[in-house]
Amino acid sequence: MKTFAESQFPGRLIAVEGLDGSGKSTQIYLLKRWLEAEGIKVYFSEWNSSELVKSATSKGKKRELLTPTTFSLIHATDFADRYERHLVPLLRAGYIVLCDRYIFTAFARDVTRGCPPDWVRGNYSFACVPDLTMFFKADLEVSLNRILEGRPKLKFFEAGMDLRLSNDPYESFRIFQGRILDQYLAMTKEFKFVVMDANEAVEKQQVIVRKLVSDRIDLKKFKRRSPLPLPPALHRKHRRDTELNQEEDEQSDKAA
Amino acid sequence: MNKPHRFYGHGIPRVNSADLGGKLIVVEGADGSGRSTQIASLVDWLETQGHATVQVGLKRSTLVSEELEKAQDGNVLSRTTLALFYATDFADQLENLILPALKSGFLVLADRYIYTLMARDMVRGMDEAWLKNLYGIAPEPDVVFYLSVEPEELVQRNLAKTATLDYWESGMDLGLSRDMFDSFLKYQVAMREAFRKLQQSYNFEIIDANRSVAAVTKDLRNNITALLAEAD
Repeated sequence: MKTFAESQFPGRLIAVEGLDGSGKSTQIYLLKRWLEAEGIKVYFSEWNSSELVKSATSKGKKRELLTPTTFSLIHATDFADRYERHLVPLLRAGYIVLCDRYIFTAFARDVTRGCPPDWVRGNYSFACVPDLTMFFKADLEVSLNRILEGRPKLKFFEAGMDLRLSNDPYESFRIFQGRILDQYLAMTKEFKFVVMDANEAVEKQQVIVRKLVSDRIDLKKFKRRSPLPLPPALHRKHRRDTELNQEEDEQSDKAA
Repeated sequence: MNKPHRFYGHGIPRVNSADLGGKLIVVEGADGSGRSTQIASLVDWLETQGHATVQVGLKRSTLVSEELEKAQDGNVLSRTTLALFYATDFADQLENLILPALKSGFLVLADRYIYTLMARDMVRGMDEAWLKNLYGIAPEPDVVFYLSVEPEELVQRNLAKTATLDYWESGMDLGLSRDMFDSFLKYQVAMREAFRKLQQSYNFEIIDANRSVAAVTKDLRNNITALLAEAD
């Protein structure tokens, strides 16, 4: 599998992976803020967020219609939609695309659910691999506690209840997350994950993230050449002001 | 001798192909090839003989059929997305209808199967090896009938029936021609080519369906009678 750079895309894709509660979303958000402030063309995309497929996915989850196979396929559909309609055009246009979870999330979850690894990987083989994948590795207990602290209502599939690991959603979640972590660790070498110590303080991690990104990617190549267009509201106001000025000019012309 | 079922590829997690009995009978062919008419007639005939049947088709799943229909109406899906969306629809019916029916010894009649899906995707440039891996979840049917009809005859039948040509059956998303009539013919020729390619890996019973409904029915019944006799 090739990276986007190896496939001659002008853009670059950076992905974060890790368990729920590993802090990866916070880190990629802070990375995005920094890149934006630097004037870099950046786009952020989340796992499981295609508008088209969403209603089918949420129906499947709510009514517990999904099996390991359809769970895998519906997420692949969601990913393909985002990949073909958003990620590829942006990467062709030289964007830095940030992904909160990428195909490795599917590899880890679907294989844990019993899908054959070769089948899952084959289905996602249309996609390039990221130019940089950061895996946020926290102690299992730390991630679990971050999620379970408030005793949230865990959803059926989120807790891995479809695997019949335990009748208690919390216990099921613990076992399920443990198995997903094993899958991630087994993939670390194969897909060249950069392993981040997610037990560290947020600020300290972000310093490492920013350093890693600027070492790996020549960021100045990704700066916007033209300034951002004005947002619509400002734009209108700007035009109104110009028009008013013109009217004033015309009036003063008449007066003269 | 009753031939045991097997999956084309990896199959479905926790489903053992040895548990599958019954028969899986697939009818493939373009719109206007007479598939639905033939299946209705086969179901009548088989049930009269005391066989329990189940019918499946494309885009009939509880899980995604509605969303798939909606997305197609807007023609907003790219080819990989469309391929995977259809595969999800197929897998949902496979696990909820086809496999349970086979486990219970039913005759399953499929109005189209993975081959139409693969052929459509191949015409749209998807990789054949990728599709074979994807559809490795499917059990191999006991027989696949391909109702072969000349594209010119398909046009006549479709127009006689509805006075229009279907957007997707004309492959209008491919931009083969602005003219729907031309596009339909070109698309059906491309589909026939894709089926010929698939024929090399999958075994189709090709039925000349340019003939009368009764003549085609007779051929199908003869084939199925032989198939069911093997099972005894």
